[in-house]
Amino acid sequence: MKKMKKGQTEIMGLAIVVILLILGMTFVIRFMINKEPVDYKKQFTQAELASNMINTFLKSTSKDCNELSMTELLQDCGQNRGIYCENGKDSCVYAEETAQFVFANTLEKWNLDYELNAFVDEEDPIFVLGEACPGSKKSKLFPIPTSSRTLFVKLDICG
Amino acid sequence: MMETIAVLFIFFVLIILGFVFYAKVLKGNIEIETEESVQLNAIKIAQRASFLPELQCSEENIVSDNCIDIIKLEAASAIMEENEIHYYDRLSFSKITIKEVYPDENEWMLYDRPLDDYSNKITTNIPISLLDPILNTNSFGIISVETFLK
Repeated sequence: MKKMKKGQTEIMGLAIVVILLILGMTFVIRFMINKEPVDYKKQFTQAELASNMINTFLKSTSKDCNELSMTELLQDCGQNRGIYCENGKDSCVYAEETAQFVFANTLEKWNLDYELNAFVDEEDPIFVLGEACPGSKKSKLFPIPTSSRTLFVKLDICG
Repeated sequence: MMETIAVLFIFFVLIILGFVFYAKVLKGNIEIETEESVQLNAIKIAQRASFLPELQCSEENIVSDNCIDIIKLEAASAIMEENEIHYYDRLSFSKITIKEVYPDENEWMLYDRPLDDYSNKITTNIPISLLDPILNTNSFGIISVETFLK
């Protein structure tokens, strides 16, 4: 009888050890799936950047094109290309070169991939800067109405 | 007797292993939370800097978003230096620079309170319009906020 009681106690001990092991393993498995920190800054930057970049660019006054804004130049570009700037370039070329300069000194400098597209018909864009995003992106589409049709400026920031 | 000692030994080894693992996990979680809080703080300061009423463009009391008045900007850096404590409460240890990218290239240092022995530095760049109210022209600018953390 005494021997049987001792055996039961030993089994109880073994059961406790097994339970502790199972609990330990559960914890290990649970925390092995590493929790990554949420990249709030990236989320904020991308959301702000796409809209701020395009709004600020379109509002900017040209350096040597009769003090016209980029919006006015793109409006003319989508209409009849009647504006010629002081350097002899038409509104479309001038707007494209300015965009190239601004984006090279901002997004490209910060190593951010982007695609800027100005179009009336998406199949036949007026100009495209950067490269199409292979994965996820934050997009901002800005319509510029002209007398006959609407020109769109679209900026995709990759990532 | 030996059996009891062996069982107790294994039991305590298991308990110690569990505590070591738990402490490691806890440390990892604290690091993740610190990283997130650092990022949120940087965003908070960047937002405060870009919406400072001292700099915002306005016309007949109507404020334009995402725009800095150059005349206000030129006056603001001196005012900020004079009222250091007030701005420290709002902008903490940071460095705020405003750069004109197009058509000309200019730079204004708005607030400069860096931390010498910082452990982390986060830079946030936000595109912003720079209005010259005299010539009525807009330039393409960048507000660059560097946030320092101990």
